[in-house]
Amino acid sequence: MGKNLPGYFGEFGGRYSPEILTEALDELESTYQKLKKSKKFKKELEYYLKNYVGRPSPLTYAERLTKLWGGARIWLKREDLNHTGAHKINNAIGQALIARFMGKKRIIAETGAGQHGLATATVGAMFGMETIVYMGAVDVERQNLNAKKIEMLGAKILPVTAGEATLKEATSEAMRDWALNVSTTHYIVGSAIGPHPFPTIVRDFQSFIGTEARAEFKKRNKKLPNAIVACVGGGSNSIGMFHAFLKDKQVAIYGAEAGGLGPKPGEHSATLTYGKTGFLHGTKTLIIQDEFGQIVPAHSVSAGLDYPGVGPEHAHLSQIGRVDYRMVTDEQALDSFLEVTRVEGIIPALETAHAFHVARDVAKDLGKKKDLIICLSGRGDKDVTEVLRLLGERK
Amino acid sequence: MSKIKTLFESNRFKSAFIPYFTLGDPNYNDSIEFGKTILDNGADILELGIPFSDPVADGPVIQRAVARSLKNTFSFEEIFRVTKAIHDHKPETPLVYLTYFNPIYHCGISKFLDHAKESGIVGLVIPDLPFDTEESEILFRELKVREMDLIHLVTPASEKKRIQALSKTSSGFIYYVTSFGVTGERREFSVDLKERIKFLKDTIQLPICAGFGISTPEQSNQISLYADGIIIGSAIQRIIEENGSDRTKAVSALAEYISKIRASIS
Repeated sequence: MGKNLPGYFGEFGGRYSPEILTEALDELESTYQKLKKSKKFKKELEYYLKNYVGRPSPLTYAERLTKLWGGARIWLKREDLNHTGAHKINNAIGQALIARFMGKKRIIAETGAGQHGLATATVGAMFGMETIVYMGAVDVERQNLNAKKIEMLGAKILPVTAGEATLKEATSEAMRDWALNVSTTHYIVGSAIGPHPFPTIVRDFQSFIGTEARAEFKKRNKKLPNAIVACVGGGSNSIGMFHAFLKDKQVAIYGAEAGGLGPKPGEHSATLTYGKTGFLHGTKTLIIQDEFGQIVPAHSVSAGLDYPGVGPEHAHLSQIGRVDYRMVTDEQALDSFLEVTRVEGIIPALETAHAFHVARDVAKDLGKKKDLIICLSGRGDKDVTEVLRLLGERK
Repeated sequence: MSKIKTLFESNRFKSAFIPYFTLGDPNYNDSIEFGKTILDNGADILELGIPFSDPVADGPVIQRAVARSLKNTFSFEEIFRVTKAIHDHKPETPLVYLTYFNPIYHCGISKFLDHAKESGIVGLVIPDLPFDTEESEILFRELKVREMDLIHLVTPASEKKRIQALSKTSSGFIYYVTSFGVTGERREFSVDLKERIKFLKDTIQLPICAGFGISTPEQSNQISLYADGIIIGSAIQRIIEENGSDRTKAVSALAEYISKIRASIS
C-alpha cells in the first residue's frame, strides 16, 4: 500500500494502526472488494435499504425556509426519515452484511451522539449478533435517550471514562477491543475515518445519499442543483452526499464543521479550519493537535461532531479546494435548530443544524432561482433534552 | 554496527531483559531516578515511553500512566533532557523510545532523530506505524544513516508473507506481541507461543523478544527458554502507579522487581 493507491486520498488516508489489526483489515478489504462485485450482495443490501431502512429517502422542497431566507430554493435530503432516524443505518447495515459474510458473530461500534451506536444495536438485533457499543461517559449522559434505546435493543454499552470521555476515547477503546477479539469480531466504524479500507467502505455505503439526491433533483428539475451543504464531524453523511457531485464542477459544495465556543484550542471541533496533518485512529488526516502532536480535546454542542479528526477524504477535498468548509458556532447551530423546527416542522439533529446555518448564508449569496440541497443527516429527538438545557442557560 | 546488534552478539545473557516505563509519570525528575534504578538492577535494554494522548495499543495501566504524565507540561526538550540524564548514568546500556507516530511526525523526523541520538537513544518502537507505509520507509532510512534501529512489532496474527516482507526494514530486534489485544498483565499465554517464536527465528534473522502481558518471574523464566528477550511494561508501570507518590518507596520497589526478573532469566 502506498500513496496514490486505493486507501489514500491525495496525501491523506492509509493504514496506521497496530500490527495486530493488519490481517483483519486485509481480510475486510479483500472481502469488500469481492462483495462489491457480487450481484447477490448488492441485491441483499438494496433489499434491506428499501424494506428495512426505508430508502430512497425523500427530497423535500422547504418552501417556508426558502421564503424566510429569501434566496435560493431550499431542498432537504431527508435522512432523518430513515429507520433509527439518521444516515448511520445505511453504513451499519452494509457493514453488518460484510461481518456476516466473514463469519463474525460479534460486532462492536463507537458512538458519539449515539446514532451510530443505535444503528449498530439495531442491525445487531435484526441479524442476531452480539453487539457492544463504546460510548464516552459524557455522551452517555448528554445522549441518554439513545443510550437507553441501545440497551433496549439488547446491545451492551461500555461507557468510556478516559480523557474527555467523548467520541475520541470511545473510538480508541473500540480499537482496543477489536485488537483483543479480532478473530471473532467486526468493528463497524461509524464514520468515514479509521484505517483503510474503512473510509472507503463507509463512504460507499453512504453514497446512496448523494446518488439519490442527485437523481431525484434532476428528475424533478431537469438540471443539477447549484449547491449542496452537509455537516462534517468525522464526515460520513457529508462524504455520502458530496461523492455523487464531486465531478459536477458547476455544483458548489459546502461542509459545515463545529466552531463550538470559539477559536481557542479545546473550544471547537473545527478540524478542517484549525487542524494540522497528523496520524490518529489509524489514518493520516487533519487533526486538532498541539505543537507537540498531542491531540487536543474537541468541543461541540453536538456530540456527533465532537471529534478532533476528520475523514481523510475530506482533508483531501479541503486541500484541493473542491469543498468549502465553514465553521458554525454552538450558538449559531442552536439558533438554526430552533428556526428550522419552527419554520419547517422538522426537528433536525444538532449536527445538521450546523449545515442549516451555512446553507442560509449560501442561499442568500446564490440568490433567487438557484437551488440548494441540504443533507438533513438525522432527526433531533435525541437532542431535545440537551437543547432545553442550553436554552435554560441562555435565559 | 548498531549498539543493539552488538549487545545481542555479545552473548552476555541467555535472554535480554527489556523493561519499559512512561517518561513523566508522575513527573520528569522522578523518571530520571526510576530509569537509573532500572538500569542499576539489570536492564539490558531500556524502553522509554514518550507519552501520546491516544495510545490505542496500550491497556489501562499504561493509559493511566500516560494521562498522569500529560498532566505535566509536555515538551520534547524535557523528554530529551530526561533521556540524556538516564543515558549518562549508564551509557553502555542501549535506550530505545516507544511512542506513537504522531509526536515524531510533528517534531519532524530528522530533528527528532538527531535529538534522540544525542540523548542516547539507539532505536524506536512505534506501534501505529506499520512497516508498509512510506513514512516507515523514510524513518528506516533516516535511522540507518544514524546507526539506529527500527524495531517492528510482529503479532500472532501476522502471516508469513508479511513477516518476510517486514524483515527488509527491521533492525535491532523483533518485538513479538505474545497475545491478541493491548499491553497489560496476563495470567496465560497462547499455547503455541514457543512454536511461533521458533518460526519467527527461522524466518527473520533478528533476535526475537517477547512482550505484552509478561509480568512475573515465572513467566519470564519460562519464555526466556526460547525468546531472545523479555519485554515488561505494564507490571513496571503498575509499581510506579502504586508507589509513585513516594519516590523512595517507588525506587526500592522497582529495584526489587527488576532484580527478580533479571535473576529469573539469567
